[in-house]
Amino acid sequence: MPQCDYSCGTAEHLVSRRAFLGSAGAAAALGPAGFANAFAARELNKSQKRVLVVFLSGGVSQLETWDPKPGTDTGGPFAAIPTSVPGVHISELLPLTAKQMHRIALVRSLNSVSDDHGRGASIMLTGRVPEAGIAYPHIGAVTAKLLGSDANVLPGNIQVLDRGDSAFGQADATFLGAKYGAVSLGEGKPPADLLRPASLTEESDKLREEFRKKLNDRFARSRRSAATEAYTESFEQAERVFRRSDVFDVTKEDSKVADRYGRHPFGRHMLLARRLLEAGVSYVKVSHSNYDTHHENFDFHIEQLGEFDRPFSVLLDDLAERGMLESTLVIVMSEMGRTPRINERYGRDHWSKAWSVALAGCGIKGGAVVGKTTANGTAIADREVRSGHLFHTYLRAVGLDPTKNFYPNDRPIPIADPKTDAIEEILA
Amino acid sequence: MIDPTATKVEREFKHASPLVACRFDPTGRFLFASAQDNTIQRIDLLTGAKVALQGHASWVRGLAFLGTTGNSDAEQIWATRQAALQGVVGFPALTMAPPQARPFTLISGDYHGKLIWWQGDAALPTPLRTAQAHQGWIRAVAVSPDGKTIASCGNDNLVRTWDATGSPLHTLEGHTSHVYNVAFHPDGKHLASCDLKGNVKDWDLQKGTATRDLDAKVLTNFDNKFLADIGGARSMCFSPDGTKLACAGITNVSNAFAGVGNPVVVLFNWSEGKPTLFKPKDAFQGTAWGVAFHPDGFIIAAGGGNGGRIWFWKGDDPVSMHMLTVPTNARDLALHPSGTHLAIAGGNGSIIVHALHAK
Amino acid sequence: MHAVRFLLVGMVFIGSGLSLHAEEPLHVRIDTLIAAGSTDYARQAAPLASDAEFLRRVYLDLNGTIPTTAEARSFLADADPGKRQKLIDALLARPAYARHMALVFDVVLMERRRDAKVPRAAWEGYLNGVFAENRPYDEFVRELLSADGVDPKQRAAAKFFLDRDFEPNLVTRDIGRLFLGRDMQCAQCHDHPHVSDFKQADYFGILAFLNRSFLFPNATAATAVLAEKADGEVSYTSVFDKSKKQGTTLPRVLGGKPFAETPLPKGKEYQVAPAAKVRPIPAYSRREKLASAITASENPAFARTAANRLWEMMLGRGIVHPVDLDHTANPPSHPALLDLLATEFAAHQFDVKWLLRELALSMTYQRSSEIPAGAMDMPQARFLVANLRPLSAEQLAYASSQATGQTDADRLALGKNATVTAVDAKIAARLAPFRKVFAAQPGEAESNLTTTLDQTLFLKFGPTLRTMLPPRAGNLTDRLAKLKSDEAIADELFLSVLTREPSAEERADVASILATAPDRATAITELVWALLASAEFRFNH
Repeated sequence: MPQCDYSCGTAEHLVSRRAFLGSAGAAAALGPAGFANAFAARELNKSQKRVLVVFLSGGVSQLETWDPKPGTDTGGPFAAIPTSVPGVHISELLPLTAKQMHRIALVRSLNSVSDDHGRGASIMLTGRVPEAGIAYPHIGAVTAKLLGSDANVLPGNIQVLDRGDSAFGQADATFLGAKYGAVSLGEGKPPADLLRPASLTEESDKLREEFRKKLNDRFARSRRSAATEAYTESFEQAERVFRRSDVFDVTKEDSKVADRYGRHPFGRHMLLARRLLEAGVSYVKVSHSNYDTHHENFDFHIEQLGEFDRPFSVLLDDLAERGMLESTLVIVMSEMGRTPRINERYGRDHWSKAWSVALAGCGIKGGAVVGKTTANGTAIADREVRSGHLFHTYLRAVGLDPTKNFYPNDRPIPIADPKTDAIEEILA
Repeated sequence: MIDPTATKVEREFKHASPLVACRFDPTGRFLFASAQDNTIQRIDLLTGAKVALQGHASWVRGLAFLGTTGNSDAEQIWATRQAALQGVVGFPALTMAPPQARPFTLISGDYHGKLIWWQGDAALPTPLRTAQAHQGWIRAVAVSPDGKTIASCGNDNLVRTWDATGSPLHTLEGHTSHVYNVAFHPDGKHLASCDLKGNVKDWDLQKGTATRDLDAKVLTNFDNKFLADIGGARSMCFSPDGTKLACAGITNVSNAFAGVGNPVVVLFNWSEGKPTLFKPKDAFQGTAWGVAFHPDGFIIAAGGGNGGRIWFWKGDDPVSMHMLTVPTNARDLALHPSGTHLAIAGGNGSIIVHALHAK
Repeated sequence: MHAVRFLLVGMVFIGSGLSLHAEEPLHVRIDTLIAAGSTDYARQAAPLASDAEFLRRVYLDLNGTIPTTAEARSFLADADPGKRQKLIDALLARPAYARHMALVFDVVLMERRRDAKVPRAAWEGYLNGVFAENRPYDEFVRELLSADGVDPKQRAAAKFFLDRDFEPNLVTRDIGRLFLGRDMQCAQCHDHPHVSDFKQADYFGILAFLNRSFLFPNATAATAVLAEKADGEVSYTSVFDKSKKQGTTLPRVLGGKPFAETPLPKGKEYQVAPAAKVRPIPAYSRREKLASAITASENPAFARTAANRLWEMMLGRGIVHPVDLDHTANPPSHPALLDLLATEFAAHQFDVKWLLRELALSMTYQRSSEIPAGAMDMPQARFLVANLRPLSAEQLAYASSQATGQTDADRLALGKNATVTAVDAKIAARLAPFRKVFAAQPGEAESNLTTTLDQTLFLKFGPTLRTMLPPRAGNLTDRLAKLKSDEAIADELFLSVLTREPSAEERADVASILATAPDRATAITELVWALLASAEFRFNH
């Protein structure tokens, strides 16, 4: 029988859910904290892979985006338009995205199994159908853990939400530990309490910090543990994040840049995503609300995709221009698609049986299209894939081996669902 | 004898595809209904014959007409004789060839921004002329009382005017969101338009400028949960005397994405620009998609949510006096030029003609 | 000062020797066994904690907060050699003891789960009663494991089951973890690959008590109660077993005897037969056997786990550690001690106050947390030096309220109405923001061994702590502002926040900051913050 090794490095069991962002102990979290020069940023950008998920909340219509069916009973009123890839057409609602198609791969034959928002989101973000007894970590926590570097002072898993406040400790990391849980930036607001309150002057802050450090130094002369060191170090790390708080502030961007992204929340959030990715955050998810169009699907898709199209294509351009696209995997997903059938209220309802996901950037073969639906989109005609296949594909695209295991409590848990594998056709 | 409370179904036509809009032609002989299959169906009410107008590549929401008004004597006589024979107005004539239809032009606008001119009375109308009029959807088309000017509006936030032959006249800029509807004032000098955000503009047609804004914001809502706008005048018309403007739509929206809100007609006193809200008496949830002034002074609206409704108001009482349930969401309402009938276009492909009187 | 402490330590070990005498009090025997656990213990071990260090620690451990300055002054000035014992007894007798234990056991038993079926107030009230009355621990656990939620008076005790939605695998796992010292989650699917003692059959033995029970009328009703069927067996196959041999078991606790069942004649299976909208009651209840089976003397794991968990609460580390991995390959650091604690705890009718008192009286507990100069290797498991333990969310909230004088100001403001309950209610209202940031996620074991960004920002810039700082009648900054000399300010500041006198060096620091700061009032406020944010405050040491 193997010896019990609870005290060894595998002991996720012992590691608190609340490990600090970077290294938990006293390890110097220095690194390119300030990005003093563009060269440093470029070097980091080359070596470090990142993932951006644009999550179209509520379930975007595949027919109004990646798999248009004009002129059929399900097609709706919109035209399909040619793209930068000959022979590939997408909805007229994405005219700028169409010009990016050479960077984008489409999977048009996804069956995500569940027509429920919560379950669907879980299936899409974990690459698995929920099971009793185990909660699988989301792609954000997985990539934050596997792609992250202790050299970075910022959290590795950040989600920009279009509602709510900033929050920590999302449960999306499950057994990987809260260190990898998403830091949520509601309405793109910076993390709670990141900014120095008005009642505290810089001078007072400096004075009190000096005294705090003295007290800690004295305490550490005779009392010291990993936990106390982590605690005292956390103030230095918080200070470093505080000094980088401009990363969270899109108003630091040139107003022309802001104009390019669009003067609306999603435009700002995509610009924020670019700043976060540039600053070395491993995983950024930007949610765009909302696509749950049971009523007037077409009007609402005009409005929502009208917001989506420009910032999305501008971000692809910006990442490419900075040499970051080759190291940044971009995924556009939802918790489900929408019914081909148009209901009496011009709505489309929940639909998981045959819909589409778009991928771009790192490790992705631009212009590739995998899978097919029938003429009016009511069924998969070719190459059915599940969320597990996508999950494998995401990890492979950023150079990870999805067939390896995590070992929470010494129990092997495959990183991606072993019943599925990567979609080789769209991997570069 | 017109009696809205006696309104009842007279005829029903089924189409395989859900319908989007409907209009009677000015002679009253034909009923046009556009569908999600991109066709416009023309029903000859005299004979029951159905013809599909092919030419649009998207859905048609704007339908308007130029030309003759009223029946011809021959049509009247034929109809009366058929009625005597068959007991039903417009029952397919088996024994006698129907008379020639009087000429008129149909102008239709679709969701690809295209206007098409048709000879509406032709045996099989084909496009006479097309114009790429707007970028994105055309949401409404209207014709001036003198038949000389056509107006269209759409998702490019523009209102455009055209002469009868299709040459552009004016581009009216000023709306900052999708323009949902246009209507000519009976005086022929003013045009009203309403956008998604409930801004109603009063345009001076001579000058080509907006002279004032009217507030129909009650018709719009930004849904804070889904982060999207819902609203606009889904139908708009002036009273025959020009003293009132009706805008129909949805109000009190609590869930835009499920269509939870109440149908409403915003009735403006045109000279003062003051609105009164005309609402159904029942707690129905949905949208009013069509509104019309009856020559006798009452107001009709039709709409749907979960199921369809037709509501009637006395001209001055904002609480509906009568309501009819229809078996499909009414996506449009058309009033026959004679005032004797109305039609609704259904989300289930039914086009239902109602008589506004007891037999 | 140090010389005196060393002398004391020396005396103790000369006196105690290594032989155990049954008549010796438990705390003496603890120290003997701990000493026996290391070679050269007497030379290596840290000296006894100073009075100030002991004072802060024992307040936090037994009352969940730090002392007022008046309490601290009076204790420090007391010349009675028996004052530590006096203080322990006093703290155990206070209402704050029951409140603190209620908060501790809420977290242990419910792990921050949502209050869906039993409201928080009822549950905390119930726990408070259990510890105020010092009900025997086995009796308490039997109540938890037998409550079905039907009797309104017993409903709070049913929270353990009800607010786990009576998910049988979850309940089985948590009974294993909390009462048997065994996290048998892996054993759900196969014998534990690394832990030979955790058998799949043991897991299913517990599950067999539960598998016939369910929530009635349904799992989502806030008013749901437990009900039970008269049939249903557990069966399992190992995912490792290629032959897929099916196992089954009757209800059974660990290696114990299965509860044999005589089949009941057809039609006699139920007292109340199942029907639509009827809560069935079986003639023979498996679940009814659970509570006594778990707490029975035939199941030594129960007393052993209970004693180990209370030891961990006081000493910061279990004798078996982690506390839910008790198996042969993870042996106790001091096996004889754990046996002794378990036996004595059971022999004293599971008297929690008695055990905590003995633990607190031990020199092992009272050892300093300062590592002796020159000491190199001080493994935690040897208890040579007191462990540093981060304050829980609740301790941090209560201690911050006391340190900043919020509690004193509350008491002053309440005037005649300043009852223990009234003052406590004021602090309880401030718990939420601390819990939000410092508590574990629902269903996860509590641990504050590391620090997250939100926690640090909460302390650094967050409004919760900040609003406690400005002067308010009777609070710390108010008191400090009224003091004339810098030395008096330093003394009051350190005593209030850190429960000790400042060193000469620290007095000089305070004086220098007050002298150089442009605004004295602001400087005082930020001095308080610096002490609150220090590791010395954040940890129980």
